[in-house]
Amino acid sequence: MSNPWIAIGALAVVAVAIPVTMMAVSSLLRPSVPEQGKRTTYESGEVPTGSSRQIKFNIQYYMVALLFVVFDIETVFIFPWTVIYSDAVAAVGMTKALLPMVVFIGILAVGLGWAWRNGAVQWVRSPRATKGADTYE
Amino acid sequence: MQSAPLPETLANLLELDPNSTVVMIVLSLAGAGLIGTLMMTNTALAGPWAKRKITAAFTDRIAVDRIGPYGLFIIVADAVRLLSKELIVPEGVDRPAWDLAPLIIASTALLGFAVIPMGNGIHLADPEVGLAYVFAVASTTSIGLVMAGYASNNKYSFLGGLRAVAQNLAYEIPLILTGASVVIFAGSLQMSEIVAAQQQSLIGPLPSWYAFVNPFAFVLFMIANLAEVGRNPFDIPEAPTEIVAGYQTEYSSVYFVLIYLGEFIHIFLGGAIIATIFLGGPAGPVLPGIVWFLIKIWGVFLFTQWARSAVPRVRIDQLIEIGWKGMLVLSLANLLLTAVIVGVTV
Repeated sequence: MSNPWIAIGALAVVAVAIPVTMMAVSSLLRPSVPEQGKRTTYESGEVPTGSSRQIKFNIQYYMVALLFVVFDIETVFIFPWTVIYSDAVAAVGMTKALLPMVVFIGILAVGLGWAWRNGAVQWVRSPRATKGADTYE
Repeated sequence: MQSAPLPETLANLLELDPNSTVVMIVLSLAGAGLIGTLMMTNTALAGPWAKRKITAAFTDRIAVDRIGPYGLFIIVADAVRLLSKELIVPEGVDRPAWDLAPLIIASTALLGFAVIPMGNGIHLADPEVGLAYVFAVASTTSIGLVMAGYASNNKYSFLGGLRAVAQNLAYEIPLILTGASVVIFAGSLQMSEIVAAQQQSLIGPLPSWYAFVNPFAFVLFMIANLAEVGRNPFDIPEAPTEIVAGYQTEYSSVYFVLIYLGEFIHIFLGGAIIATIFLGGPAGPVLPGIVWFLIKIWGVFLFTQWARSAVPRVRIDQLIEIGWKGMLVLSLANLLLTAVIVGVTV
């Protein structure tokens, strides 16, 4: 059995080579006439104001992104358990194999429930966006 | 079903020494070229031709039919047309990132196919961490999407990039947890083992594919996969009626081709993962394995196109809630339920 990572590395080379070849072929074929008006970014026909990196707005899911880190690490811990699970059941019985994972997922589920109750897992509506809606109600 | 990885098969075929590293590197490159060509062929069929034909059939129109039989030569015409378009570099783009993003999107999707068993010995590599590897590679695409969105200097692109992240964050975990529930059955992350574990008979002629053993997990995985590849009802990162084209708004010429191609390869990669862990990989009666494998990944592709034509898009806040309040809870429940079932039956 040879090292499988040689083959994976080979595919990595091919996977980069294919797009790079396409870019090279395209650069031989395509014209280049960079005019001023052509190069503005598309903003539904309006003249763009400022850079897109200077605008400030609420990235509304930052709480969710924090939660993601927790759950992503959780999956890392779950994977080894899933691999040995059926052997573990045969060796030490179902209770000993399953109960620790139930507790582990239980703690996470409580955490998710807490985040849920505190409104972390929803799209946060900014006060400015909903202010107008409130006055109509 | 168990067969040696492709480079070793080639070494035996050509009567070369499989223990020599140089031989293996050369043969690995040959095998990788074969896999790359195969997937590029599929994508070339799917992108300019099949997608148009399918959408046309859904909306009662006739699509491309002018060039060649069934309009098939449109693939060549489109390739030439798109590659020879001018590459318009917008003002103020963040240059290295803007150039790298299409490359990352296209390459990472292709890289996942290294561990997919395609039948008839077409299986490039079979590392023990196969399934974890393929999930890791598939989710790397998000980085490309963020880079494209940020670097384009376009507000629509920026919004699209941020939405893509929100979506991938929300559906990554249900996807991986549901994949993990399959590992409980198979007891291995190695792709060949997972496929081999699905070969027994479940009831009569029905094989024990995990889609039949655990249909609940299969449905969850299909939904999470739709979100992962960004197709309806979860196509909000692109959402043409809201934010023009999302992260790909400012891309033209070959860069557009690469992003578009990357998305299609990603759909096929999703299909290949589904085929491997839920549909018995290349297994099937009468026809050779590679044909069954292609039928299965095209089946998943058709499903995504059907969803694209038939299911309305969800709003971004609904998407977050479906992901975090619905899919995540269901996938945790599925994981524990699977563990209990396996624990009782072992």
